[in-house]
Amino acid sequence: MGLFHYNIEKYSPKQLVIIPMVLLAISLVVLAFVTVTVGMPVKPGIDFSGGTAVTVITPDTSNQIQAIFAGYPLVSVSEGLNNGKFITFGTMSDAQYQSLTALVESKYPDAQINQIGESFGKTLQDQAFIALIIAFIGMAIVVFVSFRTFIPSCAVVLSAFADMAMTAAMMNIVGIQLSLGTTAALLMLIGYSVDSDILLTTRVLKRQGKLNDKLTGAFRTGIIMTSTTIAAVTVLLIVSWAGQVEVIEEISAVLLMGLIFDILNTWLTNVGILKWYVLKGGGK
Amino acid sequence: MKKERMKDLFRDWRVLALLILLVLSVIAIYPHFDNNGNLTTNLQYGLDLQQGAWLQLEFKAEVVGFTTTEPVDTFVTNLSKSLDTDVIQVDASHLEIRKSFTQAELEPYFAAEGGTVVSYQPGISAATADLVKQILEQKINAMGTKDAKVNTLTGLNNVARYVRVEMAGVDMNQAQQIIGKQGKFEIRIQTTGNSTEHVLYGDSITSVQVPSQSPAGSGNWGVGFTLSEDGASTFQSAAIKYGATVDPSNHKLAMLLDNQTVYSAPLSQQLAGSLQSEPTRELFASTGTGTNGMQEATNLEIQLRAGALPVDVSVAGSGSTSASLGQHYMTMCIIAGILALIMVAFVIFYRYREPRIVLPMVLINASEIVILLGFISVIKFQMDLPTIAGLIAVLGTGIDQLVVITDEILHEGIVPSPNVYLKRLARALTIIVIAAATVLIAMLPLALMDLSTLKGFAIITMMGVIVGVVVTRPAYGKIIMEILSE
Repeated sequence: MGLFHYNIEKYSPKQLVIIPMVLLAISLVVLAFVTVTVGMPVKPGIDFSGGTAVTVITPDTSNQIQAIFAGYPLVSVSEGLNNGKFITFGTMSDAQYQSLTALVESKYPDAQINQIGESFGKTLQDQAFIALIIAFIGMAIVVFVSFRTFIPSCAVVLSAFADMAMTAAMMNIVGIQLSLGTTAALLMLIGYSVDSDILLTTRVLKRQGKLNDKLTGAFRTGIIMTSTTIAAVTVLLIVSWAGQVEVIEEISAVLLMGLIFDILNTWLTNVGILKWYVLKGGGK
Repeated sequence: MKKERMKDLFRDWRVLALLILLVLSVIAIYPHFDNNGNLTTNLQYGLDLQQGAWLQLEFKAEVVGFTTTEPVDTFVTNLSKSLDTDVIQVDASHLEIRKSFTQAELEPYFAAEGGTVVSYQPGISAATADLVKQILEQKINAMGTKDAKVNTLTGLNNVARYVRVEMAGVDMNQAQQIIGKQGKFEIRIQTTGNSTEHVLYGDSITSVQVPSQSPAGSGNWGVGFTLSEDGASTFQSAAIKYGATVDPSNHKLAMLLDNQTVYSAPLSQQLAGSLQSEPTRELFASTGTGTNGMQEATNLEIQLRAGALPVDVSVAGSGSTSASLGQHYMTMCIIAGILALIMVAFVIFYRYREPRIVLPMVLINASEIVILLGFISVIKFQMDLPTIAGLIAVLGTGIDQLVVITDEILHEGIVPSPNVYLKRLARALTIIVIAAATVLIAMLPLALMDLSTLKGFAIITMMGVIVGVVVTRPAYGKIIMEILSE
């Protein structure tokens, strides 16, 4: 791939690993800070904290919308192209919700309304958390069983973990909340982010040849793999942003961030550890 | 490519399997023009891609594990009285309490009756959940709603906490009305010949018990129900006035739901006798013996409730999508899908600069999506927005694996001999299988749990991975070999 040249052989394992490890440390600090302030590593959206979301296509401005819903616990109004508006509300009583739906239906008959109660949100949140943990442990088991060597397996699992942590931290920074959709995206990342790590590890451990040649070859294949996925996800992000399809916009944004961090973690973190392992006499 | 080779290629079982699956998928999707000349398919869409509304209801009840030193029957009866609600024994060690209490609130009541609370789960038993599902389905069918789904979400512990109702083609208000609507239940009494007189409406029935045998163990099934004080005296005076107490067989009692007779039987001799002197609040409608009697008792129970659920519910979540917004989302998804495929093709072309490699790659990639859509049609899965995001991600990662195969085979730029080729293909497939296994395992918890809308997304993603590994990757390996060895 001619976009940029990356000479893995030029750098020592330490040099390779230092940047992602600093980023990982920063990410963990961000996650810890958010956990202390809101009680979860990523700020929960209405799917988990409870609340109401209204999607509507209208030429009304944000200010007009705020005026219309002044009597309700309005949280935010976001805008897309083509007059799409995404309005969120905090939790409210059943009676207030009924009057809100009546108001929305009279003002904007073409709206989409979604509401999640607080306790239901809590149930979903607990389940989502368990799903993430099980998925991660499951992934780690598959990796260890597949490679049956301790350090290279650890490198893959660490890269995947760093990927998740950095993505989650970034979600906080750019203001994407944890929802059912973004949980799905994080779960997808667990599966897909190890793709290139597995390619790299298999090529280096199970193939004959000079280490640097194997690394360069793996990089050539690996980077195109991630690029195709990034291409698909970028298109998804642009279309869903323009069309104000909030769920898909969030999913694709999280996937895109995760894939970019995946490049970093595969070709710095994982390569660094693997190179160190082979140079000190592991593998072959 | 020479004709001979082409023929060989189509004889290869891997390629054949792919082609057959593709044809089957297109048949399953069944694109056709409907009566209005619009292009439609067999694909079904979730409530965010078409007009509809969903309601998720939470049961105001709990299933409690218990122990008691008293005889269980006495304990349950006493507890039911002191808690002033229905208490149903689920199994040897679990009770269903049909009113919302916290564990701390329940403990003193249990202690007072000589028992202890061992475990506490908000929700209702699987059996009651089934009943709720039947009642809701009956209600929705009675409204003639086109397309509705009722799902009780029962956990591994056999306790259901939520029920989710999805109705296509209605808005939020209509949905709430349908769910909230109760039927008109009426008890009438036969006067002379075929004519009957009104006795009571459903509002005089204060509670309905689950089907039981009376006397216990006799095999004679029926449903017990309780009348209000006023209802009981109205019932008594009507029975005396029309002569049902002295001549029960000619003055049958009829129960009607929305003006349809659902039950008709004479008073029992014993009841007729006792009604002469005093009103009775506890009544029992027997429905016969055996499985048939039990089934009828279940039906009668639902009818007696007249659409009211056995437990109170609160709305845990709800949503609705308008027709125009659903259409808008659909358009966006189609645009996104096509653009994503073009983008991926572009990146691949940038890398290989060779249409003979790029074209099969993109075609295989597209065929994977077609097969998945075919699968979605067959299982009648309702596609929603997260599922579509999953499908597009499959597009991106599917091509990844084709890249792995291509690069592995093209290693060092030399086209390999068949032997070396097979070895390299096997090596590429190893990488792919490990990667696939991680995705499968990551999605497994979602597929097993009931995380609302994400279950379908997980199943489709897993399916995509399996189709890729089993069908399309091996076929691609064969095709690219033929093309490269030319």
